[in-house]
Amino acid sequence: MEIIIYGTVNSVIYALIAVGFTLVYGVSRVPNFAHGSIYVLVGFLTWTFINSIHLHYAVAIVLSLLVASFLGLIIYRFVLIRLRGMATSEIIASFAVSLIILEGLRLQGIAGFKGFIGPFYVLPPFFQGKISILGVFVDYQRLIIIAACFVLVAALWIFTHYTKMGLSLRAIAQDERAAMMLGVHADKTAMLSLSIGSALAGLAAVLILPLGNITAEMGYKVLIYALAVCIIGGLGSWVGAILAAFVIGFAMKISTALFGAVWESVVLVGTIILILLVRPSGLLGKQKELEERV
Amino acid sequence: MSILKVRELMVFYENAIAINNASLECERGKITGVFGTNSAGKSTLMYTISGIILDLKRKEQMRGGERITVLGSILYEGEEVIELEASVRARKGIILCPERRRIFQESSVIENLRIGGILATRQQAKRTLEYIYTIFPVLKDLKNREGGFLSGGEQQMLAIGRALMAQPKLLLLDEPLLGLSPTIEEILTDAIQDINTKFGLAVLIVEQYARPILPIIHYGYVLENGSAVLEGTSEELIENPDVKSAYFGL
Repeated sequence: MEIIIYGTVNSVIYALIAVGFTLVYGVSRVPNFAHGSIYVLVGFLTWTFINSIHLHYAVAIVLSLLVASFLGLIIYRFVLIRLRGMATSEIIASFAVSLIILEGLRLQGIAGFKGFIGPFYVLPPFFQGKISILGVFVDYQRLIIIAACFVLVAALWIFTHYTKMGLSLRAIAQDERAAMMLGVHADKTAMLSLSIGSALAGLAAVLILPLGNITAEMGYKVLIYALAVCIIGGLGSWVGAILAAFVIGFAMKISTALFGAVWESVVLVGTIILILLVRPSGLLGKQKELEERV
Repeated sequence: MSILKVRELMVFYENAIAINNASLECERGKITGVFGTNSAGKSTLMYTISGIILDLKRKEQMRGGERITVLGSILYEGEEVIELEASVRARKGIILCPERRRIFQESSVIENLRIGGILATRQQAKRTLEYIYTIFPVLKDLKNREGGFLSGGEQQMLAIGRALMAQPKLLLLDEPLLGLSPTIEEILTDAIQDINTKFGLAVLIVEQYARPILPIIHYGYVLENGSAVLEGTSEELIENPDVKSAYFGL
């Protein structure tokens, strides 16, 4: 029972982390390696807003999400726009942005302690307390995470299928030039996707970070998890990403319960290799399956 | 009164010339045809009129690849559009239905059409959708099928429908009959004629395969090595001995 509940929580956390990354990649084919750094940055900003400017928690969250989406916009407008279509350069450039943000934050003392005398960087949970579900104690924050993930996925699905903005995102994702012929502005749409993606990274951060400390290393970890989930799910496929999050989440939880936490990362990499051996383009990656018909 | 005036257009890929001093006009409410063999510059012409060439140019520039140069003038409704981006031109009503259709493969038929209707208002989209179902009834039956699983002919119908959803004032069709059977050809040419007469929509068709298209156009050009070497009304072109030998094999 514990495995099921905590496995679900774990999986949902991975899904939350990956959904922003897969949205950006699916739309603009930009692998946004700054994803993890925005995650940590939003955590830090929220912390600062609460503790230094003494804003209300909710206000602080909204404000830092706005900053995150603006940052995504800027990253695209001033860095990535010059490199469009060159995957390697995009990776290097966005990773450079990520390094700047994360190492800058480390200088700020975000490593956990501020010179070993400063405060812990911890976000408070939305609601204190926990309840017992079938004999397993789960705190409210974890339940909120699960609920938020479902709401988010549903909202994203409606957004991309029924609004003009969302439809243009999907159009650009599938065939940039054909979308341009129909009046979709490629750069504006990609910019939009990056800003939404960054906001999603931030949203994941404010939901998940109350479970632990904010550290700079987390940025890299989050990036790796996001990449792993997206690659297993098939790059750019949303359903695949969510599926993959559950595969990884449960694989890791089960292995931890059976063999101990040491094996966690081994199982993670092992799952990736195993799945890619069976399905080279990911669980739902179908780029190579649909050939053009003439 | 012409809706599109192309004057002395030159397009170079590095030093190779793709369009050489081409001039042509599209009349409002008329179907104009441009015929040419492979490498005559047909697709480049379409890319240049629709503005896609600017995107190509930018991508090549970023990669450090071929230098693409565009010279000349394209007047659309009396306004110079040669510097405008493709999406801006689309907003003004120049909609390209591209070669090889470029359907959104993972989206269903109805979603393809909805994406086409991004520029349209709700009423326009609804009206156009109904019209598309009357000229291509097969699309209505396949409404929930994924674009990638349609046959070539169905994809072409969908591509034309999708372009119509964008509420064009000038519809550019790049090789709409490429690789299709005579039955489908007939459905498509009938539909193109219907679109033209019902809405008075200006259509510019570029084709290699002139035989089914020649009878439905009002005015046509023959493109060779990037320049328009011959022009005339439909009858004039059909009667022309050079066209006869080159395109009808007579």
